[in-house]
Amino acid sequence: MFEAPAANRVNLALDLRGIDKAFYGVKANDSVDFDLRWGEVHALLGENGAGKSTLCSVLAGLYRPDAGTFHYDGSPVAFRSPKDALAAGIGMVYQHFRLVPNLTVAENLALGHPGLGIRVSQRALERAAVELGDRYGLPVDPTARVWQLSVGEQQRVEILKLLYRDARVLILDEPTAVLTPQESQGLFGTMRLMASEGRSVIFVSHKLREVKQVSDRVTVLRDGRRVGDVRTADAELRDLARMMVGRDLDLPTRSEAVSPGEPVLTVRDLHVPGDRGIEAVRGVSFEIRRREILGIAGVSGNGQRELAYGIVGLRRPSAGTVELAGKDVSRAGVLERSRLGIAYVPQSRLGMGLAPGLTTDDNLALKSFRDPPFSRGPLLSTSAFRDHAAGLIERYDIRGVRPGLPIRLLSGGNLQKALIAREVSQHHLVLIARSPTRGLDVGATQAVRSLILAERGAGIGVLLISEDLDELMALADRMLVLYEGKVVGEMTAEEATAERLGLLMAGHSEVMEA
Amino acid sequence: MTARRLHVEPRGLASTRVTLLVPILSVLAALALGAAFLAVTGNNPWNVYTKMIDAAFGSSRSVSETLVSATPLMLTGVAAAIAFKMLVWNIGGEGQLLIGAVFAAGAGIALGDGTPAAVALPVVILTGAVGGALWAALSAVPRVMLGTNEIITTLMLNFIALNLMNYLVLGSFSPWRDPNSTQFPQGRPIPEAGRLPEFFHRLDWGIFIAVAVAIAAWLLIGKTRWGFEVRVVGDSADTARYAGIAVPRKIMGVFLLSGAAAGLAGSLLVAGILGKMDPRSLDLGLGFTGIIVAALARLNPVAVVPVAVLMGALNNAGPALQSISVPSATVTMLQGAILIFAVAGEFFIANRVRRRPPATPTALVEEGAT
Amino acid sequence: MNESTFVLTAFAAIGLGTPIVFATLGEIITERAGVLNLGVQGMMLVGAVSGFWATFKTGNLLLGVVAAMIAGAVLSVIHAFSSITLRVSQIVSGIALTLFGTGLANFIGRTGTPALVGQPSRVTFEPLLTSGIADWPVVGPLVFGHDALVYVSWLVIAAASYYLFHTKMGLTLRAVGEDPASADAAGVEVARVRYVHVMVGGALAGLGGAYFSLALVPSWQDDPIGAAGWIAIALVILASWRPWRALLAAYLFGAAGRLNFTFQTLGVSVPANLLAMIPFILAIIAMIVLTSGKRARLLGAPAALGIPYAREQR
Repeated sequence: MFEAPAANRVNLALDLRGIDKAFYGVKANDSVDFDLRWGEVHALLGENGAGKSTLCSVLAGLYRPDAGTFHYDGSPVAFRSPKDALAAGIGMVYQHFRLVPNLTVAENLALGHPGLGIRVSQRALERAAVELGDRYGLPVDPTARVWQLSVGEQQRVEILKLLYRDARVLILDEPTAVLTPQESQGLFGTMRLMASEGRSVIFVSHKLREVKQVSDRVTVLRDGRRVGDVRTADAELRDLARMMVGRDLDLPTRSEAVSPGEPVLTVRDLHVPGDRGIEAVRGVSFEIRRREILGIAGVSGNGQRELAYGIVGLRRPSAGTVELAGKDVSRAGVLERSRLGIAYVPQSRLGMGLAPGLTTDDNLALKSFRDPPFSRGPLLSTSAFRDHAAGLIERYDIRGVRPGLPIRLLSGGNLQKALIAREVSQHHLVLIARSPTRGLDVGATQAVRSLILAERGAGIGVLLISEDLDELMALADRMLVLYEGKVVGEMTAEEATAERLGLLMAGHSEVMEA
Repeated sequence: MTARRLHVEPRGLASTRVTLLVPILSVLAALALGAAFLAVTGNNPWNVYTKMIDAAFGSSRSVSETLVSATPLMLTGVAAAIAFKMLVWNIGGEGQLLIGAVFAAGAGIALGDGTPAAVALPVVILTGAVGGALWAALSAVPRVMLGTNEIITTLMLNFIALNLMNYLVLGSFSPWRDPNSTQFPQGRPIPEAGRLPEFFHRLDWGIFIAVAVAIAAWLLIGKTRWGFEVRVVGDSADTARYAGIAVPRKIMGVFLLSGAAAGLAGSLLVAGILGKMDPRSLDLGLGFTGIIVAALARLNPVAVVPVAVLMGALNNAGPALQSISVPSATVTMLQGAILIFAVAGEFFIANRVRRRPPATPTALVEEGAT
Repeated sequence: MNESTFVLTAFAAIGLGTPIVFATLGEIITERAGVLNLGVQGMMLVGAVSGFWATFKTGNLLLGVVAAMIAGAVLSVIHAFSSITLRVSQIVSGIALTLFGTGLANFIGRTGTPALVGQPSRVTFEPLLTSGIADWPVVGPLVFGHDALVYVSWLVIAAASYYLFHTKMGLTLRAVGEDPASADAAGVEVARVRYVHVMVGGALAGLGGAYFSLALVPSWQDDPIGAAGWIAIALVILASWRPWRALLAAYLFGAAGRLNFTFQTLGVSVPANLLAMIPFILAIIAMIVLTSGKRARLLGAPAALGIPYAREQR
């Protein structure tokens, strides 16, 4: 089925030069060069937003580059769709799997395969699945339905799908994010096996340890550009981290130091389940004090969302407690915690924090509508809604609001201002904010940062969960780093450097040496 | 489907002009289609349509009959509107209306002749609403507790209700059956005290109740705290949960109210023009017509009132067509066509269709097939 | 029950069940693609009237059948357009088509000179064999005594079952109904697959309607099919979206339709109205039981049923 090309072939498997890709004016890939040899495992390293996913989507045929050249095995190509790329031999395993849950493994392998005839023989498919699985160390039960499989097994099916189509270049997007350490090791074995056959593997990751272990070469992206292309054996972890994160030293400019007060939110040994049943938060403890901004750094997917949900009351922890000003609120629901003083600015502005189809007035009253003057008995007072909204719009400079129109028409910055305005304008003791300046332009970002600093000045304890190191360095007094559901590092603002944070975020514990 | 030449982009907010224009155009388009069918089969569309207008509004008697037809449609329209707005697909208005009629007639018969009107009338009417709500609960409970899709359950319950009602009068000698009916089984008349007084030919006070319910529904959704929570849930269930709203309870509440409104339609029929539970006069597809009304009124309870009058006019005009040898089924066809155009028209309210694609380059995926 | 009662009941069950077989199978195919079609009743009716009219005019049964299938398919195209391209509410679109189809069928039945209403069919489907093997006890009438469309229905069920579970297209169909995003990612043209199968479903519904007007009730009436279309929708659930089970369910329903008569000959009296409720009650129970928990995965609806699909920008 597959004839391994000689390992030292003249042609590069992939040779991309000057790749540009922009969305709505923002360049996700800026003049990126990338080359891949046959028979190598090549890591693609970078933070969130560095442009890794975009580059991979270009490679897999999902996007067409705005500029640049794309050579595959020595010849220029222009893929019009992932189907084209797959037919040529380039396939990708995405972070969100594209498997049909109710169909069997064998059926998923067959889906869309151009080579099969009209008739589909379950037995032949099953045999092929077992054969491939054994050969590459990816055993799965071909008769099982996908929903019955664990996440690790599902990933194996995704890889088998590509192998069944005889993919020569396989792109794996953050594959270890969903695997146990043992499964990760198994995956690395499979990757090396594929490489030894002459196939090439692109391994997208932010985890330095893994990159060091399994790859032959590393390409580092930052802010849409390629900033490094080294042989793994030659690279030090510190160098990689520095390339990834880009800043050596950063003295954040902030308002005069404020001395923190007594603890206002205490989290003890919190365990919160993730979406797929495995634990996302695995024993986190910390406390936030008044007049303090505590930052939680980490690459997305390491438990930040579940941590926020567990504190706010949107998900029940499996263990641990949450205390607000000394009172145990672990049993309380979202509404009660809100009333007791937990304000929450979620990452998803229009999907959770605000109701996109409702007006600005309605949205600004979303937490307070139950109380007078917003409602008297069962009836709402639209004038109270209006006045309240007008006040907030004025005070927080929310622009673009037109009465009666749904709030989703506002720009990102104004949406965020509205969301924060609502949360901080009612009585509260603690503000939890997730990625508050994500996707905002410079002006809006400044405005939001000022609001958060003002909160601190007013005596609130702020928990700032963010993937943006700039944001954290500019605002936080203290920082924790979250990695795979645990706190792996803690430091004050003065002690924090981008390099230290980068290493911790990438899973390199400070206790171990490179 | 190859790459399209037309480009579709979502509209931010449709202007009032568009939101009014689309339903009106739907009706006109349906009329045009109907005219085509009429012409092809050798009828004069103009004659037919003028006959229909005459039958619906031509005399004071016709106007009263139109309003009589419109009254239950206002209620089934409200029932559908408030449910659909919350994305609760209650298509069981038919069955809820029928069970409402069963309950109302049952209450009237059970009260007997001695009860004064001040008691009998409210009891009959409210019992019907309760009956409708209970029938809706049979779908609401599985939906809320097990996530069972309510489309099929409400649909099936329509037919169960129909058969139940037929059984009570036609298939057995239950208390609902008139013991004095000789030729053909009839429903037993309810006491006079439980009847709604007429005031304009056959039109009874029920119409005021129907209009009041429509207005009350509009106020409930738009002006109360409960209605606000319902609107949040209908817009984004995640946001509702984040705001501490009990989503399952809201769904249940809306579902039951929807059923109650449809049940009320049934009880107004029993207490009003029918005076008894008459299977043949109740099995008129009023629940499904209510869905048309709701769709055309764009789920606004107050708009339901004039739209119901329009549908009532159409219903009323149907039988009159037979006098000019045109099948009354023309009306059903028109109603179906109106609904098709209205629902397709929603697309144009939500999206704008342009000839050339937008200036900024977008991902390959968007340019491809649907 | 003696043998002849059984045979009579079973024979009638097959006859009464055949139109439901076609309609249910059509709806299964449509729903397997992920589209909910509540317009089956309307499509059956236009199929019935078209088939009757075509046969009435030409004396040719085959033309009648073809006309019926085309009529059903045409009506289903409207539903497909609304549901797949415009992505508006499938529920409302389906109900609209039922109303329109019902009105249209009545309209056609009553216009023209002479009007179709009350006219007997010029030609009807008759049993293919009336003697010979058809006279054998039990097996004779039950297996060999039917008209052509019954045998067609058996073939279509067998073909559909094979198609669904043993061919590549059938796999593609199932994938589209379960998870159109993944099917799309695998290179499947989701919209095209949906359009084709919705139309096939409409054609089968039309064919089912034609069986009423060309075999079961050989004259045109205003209400020729009862609630057959709605029953088909219910039976899809009872059949767990599988063709052979649909055949069984439809025949059971046909038997239930005969039950009243059968019970009378046995001396038991059960009200017809209560019997008529049974398929609907069973459908609700099945819906509740089959669509919750693990069983839902195996026996429940295609996961993407009723949800419009739009490719999202990544």
